[in-house]
Amino acid sequence: MPLLNRETRPAGHFLRSFGNEIGLLVAVLVVIGITTYFSDSYRMKPSQNAKEILRQTALLGIFALGAGTVIISGGIDLSSGSVIAFSATICTSIILLLSPLVDNSPDTYDLSLWILLAAFAGTLLAAFLVGSFHAWLITSIGLPPFVATLASLVGLRSLARLLIEDVTRFVYDKQTGSSQIYIGDDFYHQLGSVWWIPVVTFLLLSFFLWLLLSKSVYGRHLYAMGGNEEAARLSGIRTERLKWMAYCIGSVTAAIAGILYSSEISMAEPANNGMGYELSAIAAAVVGGCGLSGGIGSIGGIMLGAVFLRVVIDAVAKIFKQKPDILEGLVVGGLVVLAVAFNELRGTGGLRKQFFPGALGILNVLILTVLAGAITAVTSTTDKLRNGIIAAVVTLLLLGAAAIRERINASRATIPR
Amino acid sequence: MPASPHIKIRNVGKRYGGVVALTGVSLGIIAGEFHAIVGENGAGKSTLMKIIAGVISDYEGELRLRGEPARFTGTRDAEALGISIIHQELNLVEELSAAANIFLGREKRNAFGLLDDRAMQREAGKLFEQLECHISPAGPVRELRVGDQQLVEIAKALSLQSEILIMDEPTSALTETEVQRLFRVIERLKSSGVTILYISHKLDEVFRMSDRVTVLRDGQLVTTVNTSETSPRDVTHLMVGREIEEVDLGSERSPGDSVLAVENLSLPWAGHARKWRLQDINFQLRRGEVLGIAGLMGAGRTELLECLFGTSAEKPTGQIVLDGESVQFSHPADACRAGIALVTEDRKRLGLFAEMSVRENITLCTLDEVASIGLIGAGAERQSAAESVELLGVKTDGVDAPVMSLSGGNQQKCVIARWLRTQPKVLLLDDPTRGIDVGAKAEIYKVIDQLCRDGMGIIVTSSELPELITLCDRILVLCEGRQTGEFSREDFREQAIMEAATMRE
Repeated sequence: MPLLNRETRPAGHFLRSFGNEIGLLVAVLVVIGITTYFSDSYRMKPSQNAKEILRQTALLGIFALGAGTVIISGGIDLSSGSVIAFSATICTSIILLLSPLVDNSPDTYDLSLWILLAAFAGTLLAAFLVGSFHAWLITSIGLPPFVATLASLVGLRSLARLLIEDVTRFVYDKQTGSSQIYIGDDFYHQLGSVWWIPVVTFLLLSFFLWLLLSKSVYGRHLYAMGGNEEAARLSGIRTERLKWMAYCIGSVTAAIAGILYSSEISMAEPANNGMGYELSAIAAAVVGGCGLSGGIGSIGGIMLGAVFLRVVIDAVAKIFKQKPDILEGLVVGGLVVLAVAFNELRGTGGLRKQFFPGALGILNVLILTVLAGAITAVTSTTDKLRNGIIAAVVTLLLLGAAAIRERINASRATIPR
Repeated sequence: MPASPHIKIRNVGKRYGGVVALTGVSLGIIAGEFHAIVGENGAGKSTLMKIIAGVISDYEGELRLRGEPARFTGTRDAEALGISIIHQELNLVEELSAAANIFLGREKRNAFGLLDDRAMQREAGKLFEQLECHISPAGPVRELRVGDQQLVEIAKALSLQSEILIMDEPTSALTETEVQRLFRVIERLKSSGVTILYISHKLDEVFRMSDRVTVLRDGQLVTTVNTSETSPRDVTHLMVGREIEEVDLGSERSPGDSVLAVENLSLPWAGHARKWRLQDINFQLRRGEVLGIAGLMGAGRTELLECLFGTSAEKPTGQIVLDGESVQFSHPADACRAGIALVTEDRKRLGLFAEMSVRENITLCTLDEVASIGLIGAGAERQSAAESVELLGVKTDGVDAPVMSLSGGNQQKCVIARWLRTQPKVLLLDDPTRGIDVGAKAEIYKVIDQLCRDGMGIIVTSSELPELITLCDRILVLCEGRQTGEFSREDFREQAIMEAATMRE
């Protein structure tokens, strides 16, 4: 029997359960602290900035929760960006079709409530059908989740674009359709743009999913399936039903986000809505501690992952005075690599392992050098060349030293034959 | 330089978080000896071997090889210096062929620098010939049974032609005949000067083969002795640190009425020359009876249990009558509800949820009992888990400990506990003591005996015949999918049962 250090057990247990969440929380506070120090905007208009970050976080968080749930179940849902575009199209189309006609053309200003409710219900139903379709492809046909949802990722957006042409042509009775639908109603516009509405939606949804995943029998079964699907099936768990549930949560949360995004801009434009958002959602889940192999992760983690992602994007934008949407990809990409690498290394105690072995290691010292230089140069506002070169040289020296040290240690470790 | 230590380890220790797996172990291995390492589950045997083989690279203490300090960063380093290991848990790439697995990372190439599959398969075939087994070198490993997969692992280690060969329970999935073949190979290796480090729970193997024995307990070295100067009884005593009473099972059990009847059960095997995985199986199981299924690997033991549990690859024909009602299950959930439980053969792959705690592993099948309106009652769940832990004597640091922090035997108890909570009428145990040490085995035997006396019908398979003889009231023998014998307790003779198990047309 292993000897146990009983005195450290309660703290150990707490850290084991919530270590990831605590780490993220600290990281969020540190990033906010640094940004406050460097950016005038945070100091001058704290509440405006806070509201905007919260609203953005909530919008991302809503469908990140869905993406995370699917990841915990052992699958992956790549379709959320397209489901957002598709849902926006469905929602605005229903509104358009139900709006009263004025001079033979629908009037979307001052809509009655039942029209909006019918549109939301229709959109969520459509999303439920999308999720059910995914589940059927995966459980009955046997497609890998990656393929099934990848097909939706490209297919649904196309479908939405075709749909919106026909709907607009029909409603406005014209020869050519339009690639977007505009909704003039003020209340509809407020849903996504008044900061607290997405935030409250996000919190309610989080609470509901936390209850489902962490407290309910279904949730426990979902974690079990994600961790070891075959063992779960042999334990009498109906895995196909759980997958159905998981993929529906994935698409329905994306649909809720889709409604809010379209409300924010008062329109649907499926060619551009939610472009690439699926990766941000997966990134938030992974940064929040969901393991891509399934069975690991928590709602709290996903929430904090979304917060962290948005805070960092905003911080980088503020500090380097760039447009957030240009920087977003770089930040998301970098954070995902760092988060997953961190989890891997922590799990295997691998800080002692060799990071730059062989020719691949040398090449990557150079790649990281060039990356550091290039990123520094493009984010600098003045003296781009000088800053880039400085960053590159510093990186080269640091990583080069590490690579050399590793080689010395490695040659010591094994004795000559 | 005979008798000088080939490997010398000094003050070696290893901890996983707060758990000390090994502490202050010093040991010398002499060149050319057969050195057995014994100890209970969690005694630190595998950890020690993994350190020597370079699997674990961050440990305390010092390892010297031929007098030179060595610190391996991986198995490659160790292999380069002539140390290889056969792991207890199988480490094969299931999609690749047996030959490809054996030469993984050291592939043979032809004049054009392309893979020379033919040469590798020829070599692999030779190794299998040495092991006297009939494994197709070109067939994917996934299609092999566990026993054959273990033989592939052994062949892989042999192909490295190491000077020091570490074997971590190589026989745990082998049948008696395969074990005999393996021992003949080991004898040959020994006579050619290979040093062998051998972990086993089977003391008869240890005493038959080894020169010296090292006993570990609770991560510490108890002693190293010459095998000729000790006895199995003494070694057992040293291992557990207490006397274990001789288990006397099976006496005065009184089986009741029939709970399960199997009539003309056959399981088709599409696309195979034999056409049937199982053919015309007939038997009855009574309440309060332990029925053993004996047979070599590939005899259909696991397949039979899968048919009863409704998870066979294809639909079986014939009848399964449970409690007087003819049943046919299409999903394990149905079998579960009807009162059948299956503890699977491959614990790691099919039984355990590695990411979960002891509590979650135990209560998974019976969450509805501790839940109201679908929400799990934390207190009630904890209580149930604690109850099971207590009942089966699971050694754990509380019910919330990660299940992977437990030793193999205790992990197995958690899986059994999960199924016992469903209060099954019929309990199916597929090789339940595979890779489990003496102490834990005896405890599991006692649990089985008690369940049987409480009126449960139990079917157990095992790759170790003596185990079935200890446990069972009746033994059914399978050979290549057919029923070739049935023995009741008074007729149990190892010889006769083995003959039935190897009966060919």
